[in-house]
Amino acid sequence: MSLIQCCLVPVDERFAATRVMLDEEDEFFSLKSNFSHSKLKTRPSSVPRAEIRKAKKARLTNSCTRSCKESSGFDEIKRFCEDFNEGFTGFKIPAGCERSNKDLWVDKYAPYSLEELAVHKKKVEEVKVWFEERLRNTREEFCNHVLLISGQAGVGKSATVRMIASHLGATIFEWNMPTPTIWQEHLHNSNSGIRYTSKLDEFENFVERIRKYGMIPSTITGGSQTSIIFLIDDLPLTLQTTTHVPGTELQLSLQSAGACKVAFNPITVNSIKKVLSKICREEQCKVTADQIDLIAKASGGDIRQAITSFQYFCLKSRPILSLSFSNGTPTYSKERSHELNRLDDGFSFPFGRDETLSLFHALGKFLHNKRETENSFALDKDAFVLKERFARLPLKMDAPEKVLCLAHGQARPIADFLHENVLDFVSEEAIDDASVVASYLSDADFLLASLSGILTRNYEAENVVQSAAASVAVRGVLFGNFHPSPSRWHAIRRPKLWQVEQSLWHNKLEMVNQSCVAYNGVSLSNLSVIATENKPVLKWLGFRVSEGLEAPQVLMQGNVVEDKNFDSMSLDKKDNDTSDDEIEDW
Amino acid sequence: MLWVDKYRPKTLDKIIVHEDVAQNLKKLVTEQDCPHLLFYGPSGSGKKTLIMALLRQMFGPGAEKVKVENKTWKVDAGTRTIDLELTTLSSTHHVELNPSDAGFQDRYIVQEIIKEMAKNRPIDTKGKKGFKVLVLNEVDKLSREAQHSLRRTMEKYSASCRLILCCNSSSKVTEAVRSRCLNVRINAPTEGQIVKVLEFVGKKEGLQLPSGFAARIAEKSNRSLRRAILSLETCRVQQYPFSNNQAIPPMDWEEYIFEIASDIMKEQSPKRLFQVRGKVYELLINCIPPEIILKRLLFELLKKLDAELKHEVCHWAAYYEHRMRLGQKAIFHIEAFVAKFMSIYKGFLIATFG
Repeated sequence: MSLIQCCLVPVDERFAATRVMLDEEDEFFSLKSNFSHSKLKTRPSSVPRAEIRKAKKARLTNSCTRSCKESSGFDEIKRFCEDFNEGFTGFKIPAGCERSNKDLWVDKYAPYSLEELAVHKKKVEEVKVWFEERLRNTREEFCNHVLLISGQAGVGKSATVRMIASHLGATIFEWNMPTPTIWQEHLHNSNSGIRYTSKLDEFENFVERIRKYGMIPSTITGGSQTSIIFLIDDLPLTLQTTTHVPGTELQLSLQSAGACKVAFNPITVNSIKKVLSKICREEQCKVTADQIDLIAKASGGDIRQAITSFQYFCLKSRPILSLSFSNGTPTYSKERSHELNRLDDGFSFPFGRDETLSLFHALGKFLHNKRETENSFALDKDAFVLKERFARLPLKMDAPEKVLCLAHGQARPIADFLHENVLDFVSEEAIDDASVVASYLSDADFLLASLSGILTRNYEAENVVQSAAASVAVRGVLFGNFHPSPSRWHAIRRPKLWQVEQSLWHNKLEMVNQSCVAYNGVSLSNLSVIATENKPVLKWLGFRVSEGLEAPQVLMQGNVVEDKNFDSMSLDKKDNDTSDDEIEDW
Repeated sequence: MLWVDKYRPKTLDKIIVHEDVAQNLKKLVTEQDCPHLLFYGPSGSGKKTLIMALLRQMFGPGAEKVKVENKTWKVDAGTRTIDLELTTLSSTHHVELNPSDAGFQDRYIVQEIIKEMAKNRPIDTKGKKGFKVLVLNEVDKLSREAQHSLRRTMEKYSASCRLILCCNSSSKVTEAVRSRCLNVRINAPTEGQIVKVLEFVGKKEGLQLPSGFAARIAEKSNRSLRRAILSLETCRVQQYPFSNNQAIPPMDWEEYIFEIASDIMKEQSPKRLFQVRGKVYELLINCIPPEIILKRLLFELLKKLDAELKHEVCHWAAYYEHRMRLGQKAIFHIEAFVAKFMSIYKGFLIATFG
């Protein structure tokens, strides 16, 4: 009997919690490969293999809590069997969810064959070939039975595997993350005498159970060699422990352990459109192609979301906002930005994902300062004509304020980040530009400071000043950087200023404590006097007045070295976050 | 112990530099009740020395028995209570503190401390109610609100408490506070006076000062007595017996700013600007006040600059210094000045040399 294990791991790169412990993970691998026969615990958690996420989650939590509360062996076994029965009646239709399923188009029009999948053919093929190889050959030849599928939410990761599994006649056992126990809950539970089992234990139990009982049906149905696929959803959550290992690292460690990785891209607008039109035909909705087009675009490559919003849209039989497309726009990029603009404007749209940008993404936009190559407004005669040195080409992005809003940027950190990084993006020759940028940043800082320190705060006024400051900083950078340096890969650094401020604060505190050392201890002295006169002389004379003095007296070189270490440590992750192609992509 | 502290005159009679002021103060304290006092003058001119000597004159040696306290003050600020930590130095007769350490909550500190002092005022030997003295340093760094509250408290508690204020520039002290004090200007000692003091110290230490050496130190000291004595001590460690052409070592941060200035003069580019930023950060980390950095940097730059640019550069330095005081993060403004300078200077170089 061939036994195929596969972990399907939709590591949701945006939203996944990212705490994984590496050791645990190794354990987890060995667990799968060794198949040590440990004692079987009859504690049930569900053997979930439901289909819609919501439904299965509900059921899962339900069964989890139930299983915790009741402890009679009979019930456990009964439910256990139930779960298994469900598992073998075909993986699509779990009892109890049937009725609600058909209401949701996402489920109603879930793909039934490989052809129906909206995922790119090549990706499907890739996954399929992987499965086939492992099905055809015996276990000895392929030591790695782990496939890692990543991609953002709603690109059809799970659907693909399910389709392939049904195509190949393999059985899927899906592991869903049980809801994590929060501390208060744990306290409550332990007070009421319920034993806590770690999620990892639960997972082990699950694997163990599948291994022992998963085979039974195949023998019943006549010994056909049913293969088994483990589907592990939300891997980072599954292995949630206290040690911090980011999700990307988890992927890497999985790959280094021999897992095969397939990355799914967002689904193309055309594919989504195709699916939507099909649904449209079957449901006989009166929706124009343009509207479908718009919904498809708004979904951002998330087909689940697209279908849901489509259903919602059809439900509301109200006419969509003006949708006529201007066909005259020549370049693709222009058309695209045009449309995006419209989507952004249309907060009244009943659909569409709320697009957010990461802070680094927004910073990248500001710093790279991408502009159109020609000024389309130049022909406009009424336009206010600027002197040449003030004129700039139009930006290849939304209004900076809008970008800030999308990135949820706050003025202070934005200004700090821009200040730290902007010089890298200014052309080597253009010191004038740098000076303009610096002066605008100085203005922004001035604005930011103008309200701090006033105790009776006027939050509204502060808000206005804050956004004004952010605007000045961003636009100053965009305007000032007239000759951006040629585009290349830049890492966006964390502002060193923050760290400088920290050590300054620390040193100052030390100095306050020493401030009575001068004047024979009969009087306090100014910090600036200590810093500028007493300390350098003491350093020079090479004697230390007290131990307390020595601590802050890190030599300048010392500081530098320390700083660098500090930087490289904390910046590693952030550096990865921003890459040029990410920005180009946008 | 540093010589600055070792040879600091303890009584008003021993004061060499501002003898007249000292004598006047002595008369003031012995003959009649002491008013509030405001000492102002540049750094290193002897304000604190005078204040300490004055306190000794008023209270005798008891004023020197001080203890340092790091006290947390609970201040009731309308709707909430604020905890403020502040280092104070106090004897039975006086309290000294740097209210500007409390940051923007300084006004509460001033009020609170004066109130508390007024509560437990000492009773002197004659059974009369005496007064305590509150020495406030760096009054010019107090916020406007704090200075206003200072004015009120000065009037209210004037019976039980005398204030001695000390600052560098009286122009940053509000008119109201100034008019309630006897203003004592302590000007920077002349080079001749500095030489006299240096020779005094030299004699006490048994050093041979070559003629003209003390004058050179005095010249370098920028008319700061503290600076001059510190320099003398470093020279003593550096090389003794003194030679006439001995270099007088500058402070390390001054040297550092000199380096920055020459960096700026050598190359004007964003990359260089970035390097300069790193160096300024180091100065800031070492608690060198940003105002002093900017001032010193301007000073170093002006030395190397063509006369026709000086005016403009000074203008921008003043502009960004003002901005810096209004703003929050000094580096933004220092950097803006450096960038501006680079831009001006590069333009000038291109215009002159093509």
